[in-house]
Amino acid sequence: MKLSCLQENLNRGLGIVGRAVATRSTLPITQNILLASEQSRLKLAATNLEMATTCWVGAKVEQDGAITIPARLLIDFVNSLPNDLIEITLPPNSHTLEFKSGRFQAHINGIDAQDFPPIPEVSDGVTTNIEADAFREGITQVVFAAATEESRPVLTGINTEFEGEKFNLVAADGFRLAVYKTTLNSPVSDKATVIIPARTLNELNRLLGDQEEPVEITINQQKSQALFHLKNAELVSQLIQGSFPNYSQVIPQSYATRAVVDVKEFLRVIKMSSIFARDASGIIRLFITPGAELTPGKVTVSAQAEEVGGNVSEIDALVDGEEAKIAFNVKYLSDVLSVLHQAQVALEITTPSSPGVIRPMGVDNYVHVIMPMFVQW
Amino acid sequence: MARCIFHIDLDAFFASVEQALNPELSGKPVIVGGDPERRGVVASASYEARPFGIHAGMPLSKARRLCPQAIFIQAGFSRYREPSHKFMEILSDFSPCIEPLGLDEAYLDVTGYQEPYGSPQELALAIKERIYKELKLTASIGIATCKVVAKIASDLCKPDGLLEITPGEECHFLNPLPVAKLPGVGKKTEQVLKEMAIATIGELASLPLDIVKKRFGKFGMVIHGYANGIDDRKVEAPGESKSINKQNTFAQDTLEQHFLEASLHYLCEQVSAELRYRDKQARSVTLKLRYADFKTITRQVTLKEASNVSQVIFAAALQLLSKVLAQKEKPIRLIGIKVSNLSGKEKQLHMFNTETEKLGHLDRAIDEIRKRYGSTAIKKGKDILSLS
Repeated sequence: MKLSCLQENLNRGLGIVGRAVATRSTLPITQNILLASEQSRLKLAATNLEMATTCWVGAKVEQDGAITIPARLLIDFVNSLPNDLIEITLPPNSHTLEFKSGRFQAHINGIDAQDFPPIPEVSDGVTTNIEADAFREGITQVVFAAATEESRPVLTGINTEFEGEKFNLVAADGFRLAVYKTTLNSPVSDKATVIIPARTLNELNRLLGDQEEPVEITINQQKSQALFHLKNAELVSQLIQGSFPNYSQVIPQSYATRAVVDVKEFLRVIKMSSIFARDASGIIRLFITPGAELTPGKVTVSAQAEEVGGNVSEIDALVDGEEAKIAFNVKYLSDVLSVLHQAQVALEITTPSSPGVIRPMGVDNYVHVIMPMFVQW
Repeated sequence: MARCIFHIDLDAFFASVEQALNPELSGKPVIVGGDPERRGVVASASYEARPFGIHAGMPLSKARRLCPQAIFIQAGFSRYREPSHKFMEILSDFSPCIEPLGLDEAYLDVTGYQEPYGSPQELALAIKERIYKELKLTASIGIATCKVVAKIASDLCKPDGLLEITPGEECHFLNPLPVAKLPGVGKKTEQVLKEMAIATIGELASLPLDIVKKRFGKFGMVIHGYANGIDDRKVEAPGESKSINKQNTFAQDTLEQHFLEASLHYLCEQVSAELRYRDKQARSVTLKLRYADFKTITRQVTLKEASNVSQVIFAAALQLLSKVLAQKEKPIRLIGIKVSNLSGKEKQLHMFNTETEKLGHLDRAIDEIRKRYGSTAIKKGKDILSLS
């Protein structure tokens, strides 16, 4: 293999595939990045066997070839070069890749490209595409609610539903639930429901950057794989096997009390209470008081840590229904409020021991459910 | 103002209660413990048995060899509860500031309450008199300006004694005593001190604090203070305890896995029931094992979320046990379980019904049955094995 490309382009390409490199693996080659000439481009690929990322860098190819190179070494070296032309050469029958750029030279020992796990091709299955903006928003508002520990693997993924034009993303970790709904650009012919690892969608969100073009999605349920085709990269991911719990029955259909509050103000008092709540198992207590003729309604947020102290804050609220109280883990409230860009949210509660619901005002495509904490009042 | 603190200790409590209940036993060597044919240790020996070299903690088999004519009685804790309760009641008539230690001893802060009696000693005599009159038991009382000196004083004047260390005399009193007399100094510490050529409390007291601190850390500062008669601990009613312990010494050392698991299960059931009774949940579970050679190990695990569900506590404990058994094959003499890092009833509710929740319901149902029909009314299959 003999080719040349710009440091800037190679560096950007390595930044794209770099996160898919395995960090700890029983298969050492997965800690490498695959470099291969493909027509007049340099293909870069990495995989951790759960997901694989591929991207292409413009290059002048003089001689075809392929090799895998330890990711950390390659990334750090290329990153340290100035933006100039890099000549990359793999001598015949060699596993040592040579770099030359102006007055800088290096050689890095690699492993034969034949040994690199094949990146799955996902061609048949459900194919559609979605606006990048909607996909970004959906991932951001849902993915943090997925479970991080592996005791129920299905909960570490995002339940992704395709039906006609409808596209739903759902995450739940057993304590909270986030549901985001949007539409596809082209309806799917067959209904499909798959569970995509949260890690994949986090990475996809990063790769999306500020891309404006729609994302093409191909789902193959038989092979349990999904392909996301982005403007300058491809991401292939394994899907999580199993069935997601029936979440719709968890979303309360009515409420006894509803308080509409300013998101920024609410987030501020929540964060203030979290300072005290960290010494009190994360518990904060919310009291909702309806307004009277001359006084506005209010939400009171308090945290009490026996040995440390406590605090109480009030914010104005538009209250519908009876006086109410409920306790939450402060993290769950601040997590959801931090990802909403709307100005106001509604908090709907029924009893202190039934789920609380957060709905951003002005849209009807997102709902967040949080299970309360059982406390002594 | 100097404090005036009493340490009151009933003499040979279990044995004396037995003698008080059964006059035929008075004046005879009485040893309270388990069944001497099986294993177990002396819980209490009457003063008539002590000249034979018998003391609490000694294996019963040895006690029988030393004093074959002794009368062995199996401990019946229900018999001791009543006199213990009365003992504490008597003490609280003299000062409200009482700190019970187990069934048969207590600290009493009588600062200010001694005035009507003329002197602390007069007050102490009045306490002893009432205890003897109402319980037919003798007590030994140490009087000092702090807890540690009062405790050592009561220990030194046993039985039926009274010893006052007047303010300023603490060091004079402590200096000649062997270091082992200091509470907190066990065999291990004593050994280390011996290697440092420290035999008496006075020698420990005169060591520079840095050296003691370097050798023993925080604990060193505490014992160094004690050795100098410095002890700021208040006499206070015990708050809620921070952990719950249960342990069991086997009749025979064993490595039989099913039996060990069954015993562990039984202990876990007990601690979990106590957690539920006290409206508590635990976050940490500690397994304790003592091998035949008396080497003791502990292994601890932290639960994902606090729990008082028997099966959850057991599952955690079992995991610890399996890990230890996989590593070491040495006969086990004692198994114990401790739950700590306790919190209240607060808990995060779950969205989807979990197995743990169902097990929690099961526990509550079992608790209800036991409350109504006694603790033996219902048992899990596993526990039957542990009792056979």
